[in-house]
Amino acid sequence: VNRAAGGAITVLVGTVLLRLTLTGTYRRYVRVGMGPFLLVAGAVVIVLGMATLVRALRDRERDGGTGPEGHEGDEGHGHGHDDRVGWLLLAPVAALLLVAPPALGSYGVDRGAAVDVRAGDSTFTPLEPGSGPVPMTLLEYNQRAFDHDGATFNGVPVQLTGFVADAEAPFRVVRYQIACCAVDAAPIAVRVVGTTGASPPRDQWVTITGTFQPAATGGDEIPAIAATSVVEIPAPDDPYE
Amino acid sequence: MRVGETAGSAECSEQRAAVRPDWGVGLVLLVVAAAAAARPLLDQLLDRPAVANWATVFVALAVQAMPFLVLGVVVSAVVAALVPAGFLPRVLPHRPAVAVPVAAAAGVALPGCECGSVPIAGRLVGQGAPAPAALAFLLSAPAINPVVLVATAVAFPGKPEVVLARFLASLVAAIVVGLVWAGRGRDDLLERARRRVSTEGRPLAVLVRTAQHDLLQAGGFLILGAAIAATLQTVVPRDVVDTVAGSGPLALLALAGLAVVMAICSEADAFVAASLTQFSLTARLGFMVVGPMVDVKLVAMQAGTFGRGFTARFAPLTFAAAVASSAVIGWWLL
Repeated sequence: VNRAAGGAITVLVGTVLLRLTLTGTYRRYVRVGMGPFLLVAGAVVIVLGMATLVRALRDRERDGGTGPEGHEGDEGHGHGHDDRVGWLLLAPVAALLLVAPPALGSYGVDRGAAVDVRAGDSTFTPLEPGSGPVPMTLLEYNQRAFDHDGATFNGVPVQLTGFVADAEAPFRVVRYQIACCAVDAAPIAVRVVGTTGASPPRDQWVTITGTFQPAATGGDEIPAIAATSVVEIPAPDDPYE
Repeated sequence: MRVGETAGSAECSEQRAAVRPDWGVGLVLLVVAAAAAARPLLDQLLDRPAVANWATVFVALAVQAMPFLVLGVVVSAVVAALVPAGFLPRVLPHRPAVAVPVAAAAGVALPGCECGSVPIAGRLVGQGAPAPAALAFLLSAPAINPVVLVATAVAFPGKPEVVLARFLASLVAAIVVGLVWAGRGRDDLLERARRRVSTEGRPLAVLVRTAQHDLLQAGGFLILGAAIAATLQTVVPRDVVDTVAGSGPLALLALAGLAVVMAICSEADAFVAASLTQFSLTARLGFMVVGPMVDVKLVAMQAGTFGRGFTARFAPLTFAAAVASSAVIGWWLL
């Protein structure tokens, strides 16, 4: 990587970071709270790359194309061969400029180590009987289901949003929880029962309305929802919980 | 005088620069254009779930690391521009028995994760700080800073002993590695970090030059490590570690290995550790102590900053120290 190329790569990296953040695409990869930090990082990187480019061009003009021997305080025309690794930065840049990889889908659901969402024993106030469908995260649904065997649902209908993880009914609706980025994603699942007809295709985002279905004794660990409606929706802006 | 390159490679790159002054920017544009031409191919590839999973994990690792990398690069460049050569060796204690624990404890002051501490530690070595102290700082900073400790407390509600155990086990492992390196380490392996960019010139020029160099170098190796980590995560299903969850020492080793493979940011690993409830607390402590010190992307960045021969000795030593320290502290506190 010579100096001008290094500057160009750096400007590109910063531009892609800014674009990723401003378009909201970054939410597919990291948690929403990282947004401001990505903006600052992108701006710093662009300024740095610009400074390098300007210096490289200025030095070239001063040297009149005769090569860099003349000027003092060597500004590093390629640091041996150590720097070639810098080209690798173009890989994610090219990928993100052209096709942004999708948010995590059903592929990884059964490949992670088992996670236990009951950790963090919170207690919940019971839902108000007679109120409309209550939108709820899959995590809260799981925690309420394990809290006194789902007594706090009070029979109130709830609304869950996630993607379909199985090809056949009764399918699971899943959403990942992330702490920092997609690398630490943990899938949270709810099984959807009581649907008739064809299930939505795998990885289709859906909103499920239904009521809590107590687990049959010795049944699987995943809590169930008796669905009254399954609506296919476009993937949400923030695909994680 | 500290010059950034050997005479031979300088000559070689100068010749190239003289023949084709514009090859660099041209090549960058060429790569981007080629990628644009290959776009339909990329689209097709991403239709395969495994490839899409790989790409998402790869990009996520790279994106989440960028703010921390930029912070580390800026701090490193400020050190290069403002700290005069010879200052650090003068003010730092010379006896490793003092310098190493002090440097390890100083890690508390750097909020961030492991990607940021690599360029800073490299710069400290480049400025002449004693290597064992810089290495102890490299290992402790990502694990014991307040941001990470608070995240750990949030992930393990009602269990402050986990936070204390993480702090102590990380600090002990960093100090042990530093002292072992002081006794038996080979500082000649650190030449790569010593002969980095020149610090001659006005501060602003040094700042830009150092930051640019560190960003490309550490960033490039970060990308390499992210690609390896994404591959391992996609190819090796994580549930293989579940099979040894019940067996004490084996579980600790399994989670330590998982930490190496997953390469999670140290600010997030506590949440993953908290959810691995089928494992003992000591095994999960090992996951949180090993992760910020040894993981595939970190090893790639260390190899790029300090050299391969160095990393071949340093990474196994660190892994062993982190596992042993987790076992002892876990047995004592958890």
